[in-house]
Amino acid sequence: MNAAGPSPAEASGFRDVVRLEGVDMTFGKVRALSAVDFAVGPNEIVGLLGDNGAGKSTLIKIVSGVLRPTAGRVFVRGREVALDAYSARRAHELRIETVHQGQTLGERQPLWRNLFVGRQLVDRLGFIDVAREKEITNQLLQRAIGFRGEGITADSTARDLSGGERQGIAIARAMYFEADLIVLDEPTTALAVNEVRKVLAFVAGVKAGGRACIYIEHNLAHVHEVADRLVILDRGRVVGEFARGDITLPDLTARMIALHEAPRGDR
Amino acid sequence: MATADPAGRSRPRRRRPRRVEGLPILGVLALLVASFMIAAPEVFLGHRIYMSFLASVPPLLVLAAGLTLVIAAGEIDLSFPSVIALSGWVLAYFTHVLGSPWLGLALALLAGAVVGYVNGVLVARIGIPSIIATLATQFLWGGLTTVFSEGLSYALGEVDRYVLWHLLVGRLGPLPVQSLWALGVAAALWVVLNRRRFGEHLLFIGDNVRVAEVVGVNVAREKTRVFVSMGALAAFASVLLTFENRSFFNTQGQGYLLEVMAAVFIGGTSVFGGQASMVGTVAGSFIIGMVEAGLVATGLQGFWVRAVVGMVFLAAVIGHLLIEEPERRAAIARALRGRLGIGRAARRDLPARRRDSTEV
Amino acid sequence: MRTLAARLAAIGLFTAGALLAAPARAQQEPLGGGLTMYFQMGGNPGDGSTLPRTNGARAAAAAFGVKLVEQYSGWQPEVMLNHFREALAASPACVEIMGHPGNEAFAPLVADAQKRGIVVTSGNSPLSKLQQQYVANGFGYAGVDLYEGGKLTAQHMIEFGGLKKGDKALEYGLRAQAERGKSDQGLYDTLKAAGLNVDYIEISPEVDHDSSLAVPILVAYIQKHPDLKAIGTQHGNVTAFIGKALEQAGKKPGAVIAGGIDLAPATIDGLKRGYVSVVLDQQLYLQGFLPVVQCVLSKRYGFAGMSTNTGAGVVTSKTINQLAPLIEKGIR
Repeated sequence: MNAAGPSPAEASGFRDVVRLEGVDMTFGKVRALSAVDFAVGPNEIVGLLGDNGAGKSTLIKIVSGVLRPTAGRVFVRGREVALDAYSARRAHELRIETVHQGQTLGERQPLWRNLFVGRQLVDRLGFIDVAREKEITNQLLQRAIGFRGEGITADSTARDLSGGERQGIAIARAMYFEADLIVLDEPTTALAVNEVRKVLAFVAGVKAGGRACIYIEHNLAHVHEVADRLVILDRGRVVGEFARGDITLPDLTARMIALHEAPRGDR
Repeated sequence: MATADPAGRSRPRRRRPRRVEGLPILGVLALLVASFMIAAPEVFLGHRIYMSFLASVPPLLVLAAGLTLVIAAGEIDLSFPSVIALSGWVLAYFTHVLGSPWLGLALALLAGAVVGYVNGVLVARIGIPSIIATLATQFLWGGLTTVFSEGLSYALGEVDRYVLWHLLVGRLGPLPVQSLWALGVAAALWVVLNRRRFGEHLLFIGDNVRVAEVVGVNVAREKTRVFVSMGALAAFASVLLTFENRSFFNTQGQGYLLEVMAAVFIGGTSVFGGQASMVGTVAGSFIIGMVEAGLVATGLQGFWVRAVVGMVFLAAVIGHLLIEEPERRAAIARALRGRLGIGRAARRDLPARRRDSTEV
Repeated sequence: MRTLAARLAAIGLFTAGALLAAPARAQQEPLGGGLTMYFQMGGNPGDGSTLPRTNGARAAAAAFGVKLVEQYSGWQPEVMLNHFREALAASPACVEIMGHPGNEAFAPLVADAQKRGIVVTSGNSPLSKLQQQYVANGFGYAGVDLYEGGKLTAQHMIEFGGLKKGDKALEYGLRAQAERGKSDQGLYDTLKAAGLNVDYIEISPEVDHDSSLAVPILVAYIQKHPDLKAIGTQHGNVTAFIGKALEQAGKKPGAVIAGGIDLAPATIDGLKRGYVSVVLDQQLYLQGFLPVVQCVLSKRYGFAGMSTNTGAGVVTSKTINQLAPLIEKGIR
């Protein structure tokens, strides 16, 4: 189900598949992000690190069109995006797929509907081709992460699935729609050990397929292993950026702990 | 929040999805009709009573079908009784006073859509909970209708001279035509719910509005649309009702509020949203529409009607819950077994088996 | 001469002045001018059993120059009591009430009103004890005795339809409601006393509001009892649908004697076509008109309360045509 093929990026001649410039995000009195510059190259895996409340999920939601920044600019493949026209649907059209932490599936909806919602297979008159959606879903289930083929079909609802299986479906969805950029927000939280291996292999595969990935994880070892570049957020600001090999895992760990223990300075 | 399974193992919570939609409630309907046939054959083995139902149930069915979509999206609409009054007045006025029933029809539907649009704005843009917003608009439009109509009820007079009347509520032999319209509406809404993007969006909004946003649904727009559609459908129900009665009654619509909601929930649509059954709504509408007449025919005192409807309602809702939520069913079964002293749950010498303990 | 001219001029001026003043005096204050009256109409604005009363009251108020404040209680006794308290707070000249809450509930409130010189009168359903107590202060009554109304309807049904001992009949009513139920009781008792075999069904709250919902219920009953000879009710909107139910059940006009109350548009239709036989005419218009007259006469001239039975007749399928135009206007 993966779309094979060379990287599409180089041909068009842009430097980053997505870039944020000077982005602020304020919710009432709370400043979730301040003057954030963030970019992801077309064939790059960026690990996004930070403590709880650092602003990682907020950043991700801006990239995926769910939140609109209160200031700053967003560029996709070098072209600025009109913020009032940007939305989750638009992000999908721009081939940015996101596996959000937790809430990406409708609990009571069948898997085939969850897979295709927002981009249903429709005929000319706008009627959904349910049979085809089910067929594709069943095929995906065989390959998706976390499934053992124990009685889950396209008609099962998301509620029937364990946490790991749900992650698997969300990832399969992102894979199926051939994103140029896949954003993974804590994808291994609910997974068993061998399933985590599969996710990491998947992330590596994204790179091999010429695509990009933003990868959020609390487990520093995982991120350190796969990321080309590490970006550290703390209290809404970018406080560190390291290329692969520039920092060892123990140093990285120490740094993160130091950030966690630092007093809350000027606000 | 992906629920963490400590051992990371998949839990075998499989459930066989039902092949035929609405089978349980259709079964209840069949059972009910069969009981009436046995208890009152002189009434229920003839065609007249069914023709009577096919004239009286359609407005209820159209309302319930429209409301099913609203509830699927996790909202509620309490303003439809006032649309029945308002659109009924518009239709009656233009037909009886001005002699143009087609214009009356168009304006009646428009009036319903406007009421729906206002509801949509209040709920989707301003953010008032739908139960409050639509309760308020129920009073508003009901009151305005009394003002517009100056308190008068109209007889529509010789309304059966209009082609439109025959088209909407005429008779094909003994068959009331409105039943065809109502079933057509229900069928169309089934398609919308199950084969159109709009329907899927509503289900996602009702399921979890955060998820809906994240997967690209324009929540505010779809919510507004569903309220507009409910308003227009309520107006259509009002047209069928007003034409059938050949009268506009100033207080028409108020008797439908609870019946329509009962019809929807008996049919199995979840009050939480995210899951709806149009077939169930059709069955539920006929059950509600038939029950009192059936009980009267069996000689059961009319005082019993409400109690029986209540029992059917509870049985249906509990039945749906047990079918849809196997964990709940298992939990209830365990508790019952414990109470009755059967099985492992009742043995105090063994540690209770925890639900999520796995062989690690 | 000068004196004569002066006198003539004086007379001329005086006459002119008188002539000028006369129209001003001829255009004198209408009899009820400056009076405010709080009037409880009973149901909901516009419904069949309330509208003619409203029209009557408004017409009388306009004729006498009375300021009318209308109150609608949906027939609920607690609401009626609250409305009376609101009226008292406004200290009007007069208040009109209905008997649904009962003598005991109203007694202290009416006593208070009397002390403050407010004229209280009644309509639609009586408050006999209070009426007796305060008749000298203008406490009158303009209405039908509910029980008597039901009785009258039944009597006319029997007469019109030639109903006999042993005939089967159905009373479809609201006996569970204390006040409104009295009319159904009257109908029921009278039919029973004449030897008919009377069955009873209670009207549900849904049917109470949307009476078209009664149709399948009645069709089922009629089919279940093919030997049914009469259906009686004292619910205005249900009366409007009996004809339809009879038709759907396959009965010919006149095969079943249908008796009801009030003249909703569909009832008139039913009367014309012969499906509805006998309808009690409460002459609701008078129930609105007369209390206003009572108010004016008692407030201005201290006349005592007058008791008028407004429901002394019925409309039948034979007499309907003459009355149709007035009914359209909401007068009859």
